[in-house]
Parts: sequence; structure tokens; C-alpha cells
Amino acid sequence: MNQIKLNADLLRDRVATLSLTIVVLIVVSSIIWPAQFFSWENLSLVLLNLSIDAIVAVGMMILLISGSFDLSVGSVVAFAGGLAGYLMYYWGVYVPVAIITSLAACVLIGLVNGVLVAKMGVNPLIQTLAMMGIVRGLALMVSGSGIQNLPDSFNILGQGRLAGFQMPVWYMIIIVAIFSFLVAKTIFFRRYYYIGGNEKAAKLSGIRVDKMKIISFVLMSLLAGIAGIILAARLGAAMPTAGQGMELRVITAVILGGASLLGGQGKIMGALLGTLFMGIVANIMILARVSGYWQQIILGVILILAVTIDLGLQKRADRIARDLVKGKSLQNEN
Amino acid sequence: MQRSFEYATESERVRLQLKGISKSFPGVRALDEVSFDLRVGEVHAICGENGAGKSTLMNIITGNHQPDAGQIILNDEVVTIANQLTAQELGIGIVYQEKSLVGNLSVSDNIFAGCQPTTSWRLIDSKKLHNQTQQLLRKLGMNIPSNMAVEKLPAGSQQMVEIAKALSRDPRILILDEPTASLSESDARVLFKIIRLMASQGKSIIYISHRMPEVFSIADRITVLKDGKYQGTRRTGHTNVDEIIRMMVGRDIKAFSYHNSVQDSIALRVQELSGVGFRNISFDVKKGEILGLGGLVGAGRTETCRAIFGIDRKSEGTVEIDGKIVTIHNASDAIAHGMGYLPEDRKEQGLFLDMSVRENILSVKANVLNESVLMNRTADDAVSGSFVEKLSIKTPSLKERVINLSGGNQQKIMLAKWLLLNPKILIVDEPTAGIDVGAKSEIYKVLNELTVQGTSVIVISSDLPELIGISDRILVFWQGEIAAELFRPDFSEEEIMHYSSGTKNMFRNNV
Repeated sequence: MNQIKLNADLLRDRVATLSLTIVVLIVVSSIIWPAQFFSWENLSLVLLNLSIDAIVAVGMMILLISGSFDLSVGSVVAFAGGLAGYLMYYWGVYVPVAIITSLAACVLIGLVNGVLVAKMGVNPLIQTLAMMGIVRGLALMVSGSGIQNLPDSFNILGQGRLAGFQMPVWYMIIIVAIFSFLVAKTIFFRRYYYIGGNEKAAKLSGIRVDKMKIISFVLMSLLAGIAGIILAARLGAAMPTAGQGMELRVITAVILGGASLLGGQGKIMGALLGTLFMGIVANIMILARVSGYWQQIILGVILILAVTIDLGLQKRADRIARDLVKGKSLQNEN
Repeated sequence: MQRSFEYATESERVRLQLKGISKSFPGVRALDEVSFDLRVGEVHAICGENGAGKSTLMNIITGNHQPDAGQIILNDEVVTIANQLTAQELGIGIVYQEKSLVGNLSVSDNIFAGCQPTTSWRLIDSKKLHNQTQQLLRKLGMNIPSNMAVEKLPAGSQQMVEIAKALSRDPRILILDEPTASLSESDARVLFKIIRLMASQGKSIIYISHRMPEVFSIADRITVLKDGKYQGTRRTGHTNVDEIIRMMVGRDIKAFSYHNSVQDSIALRVQELSGVGFRNISFDVKKGEILGLGGLVGAGRTETCRAIFGIDRKSEGTVEIDGKIVTIHNASDAIAHGMGYLPEDRKEQGLFLDMSVRENILSVKANVLNESVLMNRTADDAVSGSFVEKLSIKTPSLKERVINLSGGNQQKIMLAKWLLLNPKILIVDEPTAGIDVGAKSEIYKVLNELTVQGTSVIVISSDLPELIGISDRILVFWQGEIAAELFRPDFSEEEIMHYSSGTKNMFRNNV
């Protein structure tokens, strides 16, 4: 019985299953396309492409753990780059000042989302959907048809290299590392699991749910802002269309990574693995010359499969657990 | 409570007979050759601790589970109940403990869910629907408007709608699983009337309840299960509570171990507290005292305590702890002042069902005591493990999700998370609702131990024997006000009933 339970636990740990799947994907692809896939250029390009999404996914994972989500992240990515670009290009503001101002604006966006959701009780879907439109409009206002020729001292932030990897990959690694540590180890972030598990009970247990929610939305917008700045630096341009469709892509990745829309579940490492998985699948499909339409279809099927398998495993695990409980209570009473 | 009369409608004709029913789940024998029979027009109570096999047995009768062995004989015919639909066709209905109603739909839409009367155009015939609902409700003596949204009804009426829904299918056998858990005494009386009415119409009722007085006042016969085994069936008139409890647990249980540890100093003083659902509430609680709050559901007890704990707003009044006026805006303020609160609805408000035993036990400590930034797995395991042991919480491991545990163990976990903080004042709202006798007495024991250590306990309970058994003093609420203060020598169920139903009031002359 313990053996069965152990295996079930392992199968239900999305970080474990996803890591395994990714390793299998890499091994198989390396055998099929040894030259194209398993090359330094290709793999570092895969990482570079997913680094922006992964940074946003970290914030999204925290929101999903608390039982919420944010659709405005894609717009915030465009707005952050746009505002920083606008300040630097048109006003000649110093690079650090432009970045900090832009991030402060993002914090404000998150604050509005958080306060309206937590204090006024606006549904996060509606609140962040509205904010998605508003911020996209703001992004268009500041960056117009796009701002090219950003200062080199800015671009180096996204285009530099360190130990073979481009900077965005390093930012991703640092952010993921910091937050996996914080979310796994600190009492502060553990509260999001309680809130996602049962908000009423969390409140009664003394958790300042409103405050925590506001912080999570602020953190989300801040991370999206950082991602937007990195993206603009990498491209050397602020594009008003940046981050379009990113919100659903990131939510997909985070759910693949083990989050549940009901809240209470997920790990930061899952957010990284989810995006990594999607990045590798996209890369493989390009190598296999599968059309872009098929990529969408295949990702959709993978998402459904992952979630249904998970539900099946959960049911099985619960059945085993209940029997264990019954068995135990019977023994104890005898 | 004793039975003073025999019911005339009782007949000896057997409607449903179970013979040697066994059911095993991997590793557990949930039912072991259980036999019992249900007669026409009888109310048959099934008693047993949680895990005794009651739910499994009901699941077999309603087609949710298939027995491994044994026969089900319905009206002298061996039947196989393959699923719930077959059960319904065979005339077996059940009212579950969990609510199966849709809150924002009307009473009639809920009662006739999926089988509303239709016009010749196959559209819902709302006039007919309304009439049929009214007819049904009238027949049951329920005074509920049929077009009202269910969520706007008080909990008791919702339970009535649930029962009306089951009855709308006109079952010959009706199973009621803890039907009075959310009912006030007066609603419960209406329910009992309905049950007697149904029995007199020849229907057979299986009644599952933990409340002994109830079982004895309503049932014709009582069958006891223990650890999946049949312990025996008794005619209600020929047995007593002690015997049934002995059969359930296989040992004598002294349910209430009262111990006076009231000290002189006052721990909590509430003065002229008013808010939504209560007004002008003043009382003191001494150190080491158990203060019972009696009254009907909705009389303002829970509302008052939620306001004291900072969850709901108070419009007026002050709260003093250890002689100092404190401002409490939210639960974390209250906890910081040494208070704890065990809510009445453990699934909705109390537990993190999908989280582990350990995380539940630590849920308050981790959030309030800012003793460290990082979590400490080893210390956490040690602390939660010690409470699992101390309260004898039955769980396979600290990692088990609490959703898989029984009600009694869930309740103990809620208690553990407050014990961890050594509260000065602990408010417990319906602390033993829907849990078995053994777990109940363990919870009483814990509350007693707390008072010995000087903790003040406020107990909200609708279970009168419980309230009388454990309290040092009882305040009875009536319509948002305190109607009586009773001291231990004056405790009696009748007195409390009078005050809570408004027929007597210590502080008003005009009733």
C-alpha cells in the first residue's frame, strides 16, 4: 500500500513528471536532430525565447496559488518597455531613472488591480480583462508605432552575454531562483497557499487576505514590467504589440506546471518547467517543419491531457487515502 | 427524553431487507455481514460512530456502491441496485448531509430540478410549477414562498427544501442523513412532524443521527453498527440512551466530564455591543470559565462572537481583555490579543481541505506569530506531530489531506491549530456538530484541560445536553439580545428552551 501511495505521490508531483517529460523530449529530439537540436545555439535560443514568458510565469504562479490570475500582463509588458523607451528617447531621461519610473508605473497598475479585486470584490477576470485593454491603450499612446534606436547603455541590459548565455536567460534564472526559494521556504509566501486553499478559513486564521492579495497583484505587474523592460532592451526597441497573447500562453504554461485555477497548488519551479516545456515543443515543431497551426492544436491537446491525467491521479490518490484512513481508524478502535 | 406512547401506524410488514451485506475496500472491511430490515411505516434510526459503516450502507441502498456479498430484498423480491437512477425508480430517496441545492434558483426550481412540469410546447409551465410546489410545501406543513431564491432562506428552511425535493419524487423509502445538523429546535420539530406524517402514510424512513435525544424521540427502532459490524436492533421503548451508546462504542462513555476551574479575574468583558443581528450585548467571561451561549440558530450568538473576533463589524460597544479596552479590526488583531475562534462550518470556514494535516494545524501559528521568516520543517513536523498524538487524531500521516479524514478528526485538527497558540480566550461555535460520540468526549476533555490552564472558553452550541454538560454559566440569546443568564444549579433543557424561544425573558417584563 505504501509503495502504491509513493508512486502516486510521485506521479502527482508535476515538477517531477514535467522534468521527466522534458528530459525525454530533449533526449529523443537530440537523437532525431543531433546537429540542429542539441547545439549550443539552438538550446540557448530556446532559453532566450522563453525567458520573458518565464519571468511573467513566476508572478502568475503566485497569483494562481492564491486562487487568482491576471490577464493584463501582456499589456503591462508592452507598456513598461514603451514608457521606458518614451522617457529615454523623447525626454532623454537617464536609463536607470527611466527604468525605475516605468516599473513604478507598473506597480501602480498592479495596485489598482489588487485594490479593486481585494477591497471592492471585483472578479479578477473582469478587473484584469479591463486593465488589459486600458494598459494596451496606454502602451500604444507612449510607444505609437514603436520606438527604435534606444540608447546602447539600455540595450546592453538585454543583449549582453555572460558565460555564454544572453542576459535575459540570466535574469530568468535569478528571478526563478529567488522566488522558488521564497515561495517554498518563507512563511509570507506560504500564506498564498492558505488563501488559495480556503479564503474564509485563511481570514479566520488571522491572514490579512486583502493585503496579501494586493501584494500579489503588485508583484505580478512588477514582474511583467521587468519582463517588458528586458524585452525592449533585447530588441533595442519598444513595440506596442509586445506581449500580445502572452497572458493565455503564460497561464497555459503555469497550469502545465502544476497550478490549478481553484488555487492552493503549484510551485515556482513548475512555472519555469511549464514555459520550458512549451518552448521546447515549439522548437521541436519548427525543426520538424510542423506548421504554426498545428503547434496551437498540439499545445491545446497537451494541456487537456495533462489536466485530465492529473484529475484521474488525484481521484485515485484520494481513494487510496480514504481507505488508508478507514483501515487505520478500524485498527485503532479494535 | 423518553417515549411516552407507541405509534399506531407501525406495522410488522417488511419493506426492505438486507441480508449479510459485506463490502470491502482495499485494506478495509467497511461492512461485515450486516443484516437489517426496514418495515412499512416505521422510522428506523441507524446509529454508530463515524467510520462504523453507516455511509457505506446507505451508499449500497442508494446504488452508489455494490455489495461484495449479501442480498437486498425489496418487497419480497431480490433486487440489484445498480445506480442512483435504479434506486430512484425503486422508490428510494435520500437527503444528504451536504446541500444539493442551487442557491440562486428558486425553491420550486430546486425541488423540481430537471423535471419541471411543461406546457404542450415543452417549455417550463411556471404556473403549474408554482402550484405543485405550493401543494407539496403545504402538505409538508412548510411555510416557504416557492419563488424565493434558496440562498435567501435561512439554513433551516433550506434543509426543508432539501427534504421537499427528496419527497417530490414520492419515495417509499426515505433516508435522512443528519437532517437536523443545521436546524433550529423549532425547525427540527416541524421536521419530526413531517417524518411522523410520512410514516403514518406508510413510508419507511431511515434516520441517521448522532443526536441521541432526537433518535429516541423519533425512531421506532434503532439499529447500531460498529466497525462495519451489526451490533443489534432495539425497539426504542425497550432501550435507553446508555445502552445504545454502549453498543456504539463498546464501552461506557462518560460524555461530559465537568470540572470547575473558574478563577476570580475577568478575562473578557463585552459592553453594549451592537451590530447586524445583535444589539446591546454585555457580558463578562472569567479566567478558566466555560461560558455557554444558548439560543436558536440566528439568535445572534455567532454574529456576536464574529464581531468580538473582528470578522464582522460592530456598530457600537467595547471589548475589554484583561481589563484593557482593545481595538480589533480583523482576525489577526484578535489573535494577537490571545483569542481563538473555531467556526461552526468546518468545511466552509475552518479547514483547508486540500491541504495537509500539518499545514492545517500550523495555519494560524505561521501567520500570526512572526517569530521567523523562514519555515522550519523539522520543528513544524514535531509540533504538528505532537498535537496529532495528544488529540489522538487518526491520520495515516502528517502529509494526508484533511478532506480524507473523518469529521471528528477534522474537528480535532481545527482545535489543534488554536491550542498551538495557547489562547487566553477560545470561542468554539458548534464544536461537536456531526461528529461521533468518542470524538465528542475527547473534545470536551480538551476544553476542560484548557480551562484548568486558565483559558476562558465561549461555547456556542445548539446541542442542549452538551451546553448544560460542559458550561459553568449559560447566556441564552433571543432575537439578537441576551434573554437569560443561568448558573449551573439552574441549568435545565426546559428553561433554556423557554428563554430561547422567547416565552420567558429575564431582562424584559413584557413577554
